[in-house]
Amino acid sequence: MTTTIVLQQAINGVVLGSLYVLVALGLTLIYGVLVQINFAHADFVTLGAFAAYFFMHLVGGGYILSIGVAFAVGAALGWLINASIFTPLRRKGNELLPLIATIGVSVMMQNLMLAWFGPIPYAFETQYSSEVLRFAGIFVSWQSIIIIAVSSLTIALLYAFMKFTFLGKALRAVSQDRETAGLMGINPNQLIMLTFVIASALAGMGGAMLAPVLVLTPFAGTSVIVKAFAIVIIGGFGNVEGTILAGLIVGLIESYTTQYLDPGLIDIVVFALLLLMLAIKPTGLISERREENV
Amino acid sequence: MNTAFRTLFVSAAAVGLLAIGSTAQAQDKTIKIGALFPMSGPGSYFGAQDKQGVELALEQLNKTGVNGYKFAVQYEDSSCGPLPATQAAKRLIEQFKPDVIIGEECSDATLAVMPIVEQAKVPLLNAGSSSIKVTEPGNPWTFRIMPNEVMQGINLAENAAKRMKAQTAVLLFENTNAGIGNAQVFKENFTKLGGKVLAEIGFGRDVNDFTSIATRVAGLGKVDVIPTYTLEGQGLKITQALAQAGVTKGGGGNAIQIGTIWLPFGFEQKAGKAALGYIRIVQFDPTDSRDVAKNFAQAFKAKYNADPTHLNAHAYDQIMLIADVVKRGGKDAQSIRDGLAATKSYSGVTGSVEFDKTNQNIKMDTIHYMETKPDMSWTSLKWN
Repeated sequence: MTTTIVLQQAINGVVLGSLYVLVALGLTLIYGVLVQINFAHADFVTLGAFAAYFFMHLVGGGYILSIGVAFAVGAALGWLINASIFTPLRRKGNELLPLIATIGVSVMMQNLMLAWFGPIPYAFETQYSSEVLRFAGIFVSWQSIIIIAVSSLTIALLYAFMKFTFLGKALRAVSQDRETAGLMGINPNQLIMLTFVIASALAGMGGAMLAPVLVLTPFAGTSVIVKAFAIVIIGGFGNVEGTILAGLIVGLIESYTTQYLDPGLIDIVVFALLLLMLAIKPTGLISERREENV
Repeated sequence: MNTAFRTLFVSAAAVGLLAIGSTAQAQDKTIKIGALFPMSGPGSYFGAQDKQGVELALEQLNKTGVNGYKFAVQYEDSSCGPLPATQAAKRLIEQFKPDVIIGEECSDATLAVMPIVEQAKVPLLNAGSSSIKVTEPGNPWTFRIMPNEVMQGINLAENAAKRMKAQTAVLLFENTNAGIGNAQVFKENFTKLGGKVLAEIGFGRDVNDFTSIATRVAGLGKVDVIPTYTLEGQGLKITQALAQAGVTKGGGGNAIQIGTIWLPFGFEQKAGKAALGYIRIVQFDPTDSRDVAKNFAQAFKAKYNADPTHLNAHAYDQIMLIADVVKRGGKDAQSIRDGLAATKSYSGVTGSVEFDKTNQNIKMDTIHYMETKPDMSWTSLKWN
């Protein structure tokens, strides 16, 4: 029984960690390229969740396709907000302005969603939510299997994009030195836009993955964003590999703290780890020089 | 200025003064009600449904008025939390100057507001906070219609042990005054009746995934009942996770989730088959055959084209009880407070109201039990 529980909680932790990674990756990408924290990231997650929900319930689409819809909605919104708000503010040369604007965008999006979708929690059920695979005392819902599969695929594709494509290499060049990259013929503004679009698309997709797990309300994203920030700091701000590792560690900490200590202590354990990391290894789990991030 | 013009001027001025006077009199004949409801955050479903109940009551009352008084409500978002509730209460008292305040839903928010209304000497009529601290040891300015956590907890523990023959329980609760208080009252009374509590699992409102908690419950052996104290959103996820882990009836297990007044109607439909067998206390029984309950349900359906929830019902009751006090002579904060305190056997939609010396409603007919059936409908258990 004990081994079964240990294994079951490991699976629970990996599923939860995979969800956190999807949300945290967007945050870390934006920080890596722009050295900017996006406080509106949680609301892109929420909007992605609602996009998937309404695609399924109004259009009648399937869940897997709804993940793609949430990805596209996130990407489109990321482009729109970066083009209309963040880019003009960035041109003013004051780095504080776009940072503050992300807070404004967050509050605005939350309240718009509250006005449109109302405060009553939505039940986001998919055909995979209640179907459970049981073997040797272990249970895993098909929803959890989809979460792990989609997260793994996304991480692999993102890694391949960064390492092997021209645009990915250009993004890394901009993150290392924006001015020098510009001198080499790379347009930093286009790549910043690309970063925003990718990060927002990931957030939207994360929303579609989280929605059947989370309580879907206009504030759904905010409930995971604090953990996502902690994961980004533990993993090393701007470090993709570190973020993935930290996400999985936090997921496992949550499930084992629930089993052997108390769920009420989860935040204490996670944020104690964060403080510990800041004190002894402020560069994050996987040390890289700042300019090699992303 | 000739005499005719002077006469005309004086007459016009007199008419003007009379008009101003009658407007002032009309304004004075309004009972101002401040409403502290959560309109944002995870408890915002409370506010949305409360407002529907209030608006229905106002529509009915303001057609004719009561003792020459009309009723006006000012809503403030108190967000189910102590800090926003405190700020909202101060705003209400300083700017709107209400004769009476209704709300909040969450105990932590209500407890934070109580010293402010006491200082301002404005009565607070609460219908949704269960913490015993709201009325114990007693506050002359705070009244509660809802049965408190002790009244509900003793009743639930007795029914679990005697009617459901439960011997073991696992307590799941949010780490708030109400969550912890409800769980402790159940534990104390269930163990007195010979039951055994296998685990007490508290969690914050930011917990998203309950699979790990369900896994832990599944590892505890035979569990008969799982008293659960959370808001609707987390409640849905707990119910589904317990079913996935094969713990509760909805997932093929034997355990039954039970609870006090936390969840709105419609919860079962959202939770799906995972909610099978869930037994919980609700504050309003739509099958109640009393005229007051039937008329309310019909009027609500006519206005909103939906069946009322217990939140709609208790908000409606708050306004109607204030109207009853006004009918008995209440006209300002002090007289409304005194009228509330003197309330005897008022018959509301949720049940009867009679306050004890701590201003707690002592009537137990406000406790109604419902059970979720296999088709996700529910049945009234008539246990009280």
